[in-house]
Amino acid sequence: MMRRRVSWAPAAFLSPPVTWLVVFFVLPMLVVVLYSVWQTVDFKLLRSFTLANYVNLTKPLYLTTFIRTIRISLLVMVFSALIGFPVAYFLARKVRRFRTVLLVLVILPLWTSYLVRTFAWMLILGTNGVVNYTLRGVGLIDAPLTWLLYSDFAVTIALVHIYMPFMVLPLYAVLEKLDGRLLEASADLGAPAWRTFLHVTLPLSLPGLATGCLFVFIPSMGAFVTPELLGGTRSIMTGSIIAQQFGVAFEYPFGSAMALALMAVILAVASVTLRYAKPRGVRT
Amino acid sequence: MSTLATERVAVTATAPRARTRMRAGRLAAWLLAGWTALVFVFLFAPLVVVVVFSFNNSEISTFPMRGFTLDWYRKLAGDAQIREALTNSLIVAAVTVVLATTLGVLAAVGIHRYTTRLRAAVNALAMLPMMTPRLILGIALLSFYSFLQVDLSLVTVVVGHVIIGLPYVVLIVSARLVGFDRSLEEAARDLGASTWVVFREITLPLLKPAIIGGALIVFTLSFDEVVVSFFTTGTANTLPMAIWSMLRFGITPKINALASLTLLLSMIVALLAELIIRRTTAREGAPRPH
Repeated sequence: MMRRRVSWAPAAFLSPPVTWLVVFFVLPMLVVVLYSVWQTVDFKLLRSFTLANYVNLTKPLYLTTFIRTIRISLLVMVFSALIGFPVAYFLARKVRRFRTVLLVLVILPLWTSYLVRTFAWMLILGTNGVVNYTLRGVGLIDAPLTWLLYSDFAVTIALVHIYMPFMVLPLYAVLEKLDGRLLEASADLGAPAWRTFLHVTLPLSLPGLATGCLFVFIPSMGAFVTPELLGGTRSIMTGSIIAQQFGVAFEYPFGSAMALALMAVILAVASVTLRYAKPRGVRT
Repeated sequence: MSTLATERVAVTATAPRARTRMRAGRLAAWLLAGWTALVFVFLFAPLVVVVVFSFNNSEISTFPMRGFTLDWYRKLAGDAQIREALTNSLIVAAVTVVLATTLGVLAAVGIHRYTTRLRAAVNALAMLPMMTPRLILGIALLSFYSFLQVDLSLVTVVVGHVIIGLPYVVLIVSARLVGFDRSLEEAARDLGASTWVVFREITLPLLKPAIIGGALIVFTLSFDEVVVSFFTTGTANTLPMAIWSMLRFGITPKINALASLTLLLSMIVALLAELIIRRTTAREGAPRPH
């Protein structure tokens, strides 16, 4: 079919959004890179190249926090996958009539404020909170558990609560498209259920799993509100430290360097994960 | 897969091992259902807790409940700072919706209808803010404004919210665009319609549910956003920021009341958005000209 070449159309449509993205996303990121090699001395910006900020990052305090942040983010990712996979599988392959309703319900909390969801866990895990009240009421404990709140545990469980739906969505998308005949064929050939899962379902759902892992890992790494409210002094994450640098500390260069280090870890994990995110066909 | 009738035939006609397999399959289905139910409880119970305690006749949000009261909601209504924060949030959200939806629709249509070579690159650029933690978006914008010595205000907040919302609009509109067959637009073009007319008369109406749904999603994202607002606001407060500063001083049931109201708003808007986006996609077959 003959189509007239409209050469100005791409520019007309794409200029506004691309300009906005370049000016308000790309350029700010470049400023962060720039700041990371400058320094503030006596609350004044010193515009000379220095790697002092990056050297400063290797101090034990910051390294420990970094490692804790990566550890928590990986835990959140793994728990989200373990909790979310059965749900995605159930909705994609075992439900017909209420499928859309249930899927919408799973996604719904995603659109609520993560501040409110974090706040909810403050109520649940506190010394007088729901969990402690129930455990004491049933008689399982005498004194309230103090490690529930202001700990790695609190931050982890809240982050799982907040980001787990991000895992269900791509998994659902992939599992829904899975050809059921492949699973039937595997069963017909004598494979027990766990074998079919391990050798057929799991490999084929890898793209969805990879995407889901990324969608959970990335925001966890950058978490700021949740560790701030639920972590106390025991469970500080890098996000909180970065935020401090851009607050009263007025240490934009150091904060920028730390932010870039965080992004570097995210990019490293993303590049590995995205290799699995490409949809694979069935090898015949 | 198989319907109930086929299953019944299959059960009677198959070997014992196959029947055991079917029973095991049904057990697995029930286990999965139970797990899903637990996950739903996990997802919604905390929200229920927030709402329940907003009616608690006590300063401390703890069990046992000391009676039902609407006092906290009344205190909210009387708080001038909260009212101001709410107004700011609504203004910011409204402007963000207009900007993000417009830019997002232009981007999606540009990517999927008028570009071939740069398609992947532009699409990646549009998706990048979604793959960046909000904290990083916030400090990057703050650094940018500081570098240019731009004053912070609600305007700078809107800019950040648009960056957050744009990828979602592109995603939602692209999904609908890709599903639609182009013959209608091509027919119009062959009949002599200009690009602009095709866009306005054919593409936009077809995209209406995605645009409305995307707009609603952007609204709820902007209304709930706290991190980016925190870094890019001057002296003005948005509602989430008001909640955030209240939390710094300690938990009061007034926060419960405020949180419950924002929960309600977000869920209603999000539900509407989901219904609009999903229902029409399922209902329509081939696009019909009007």
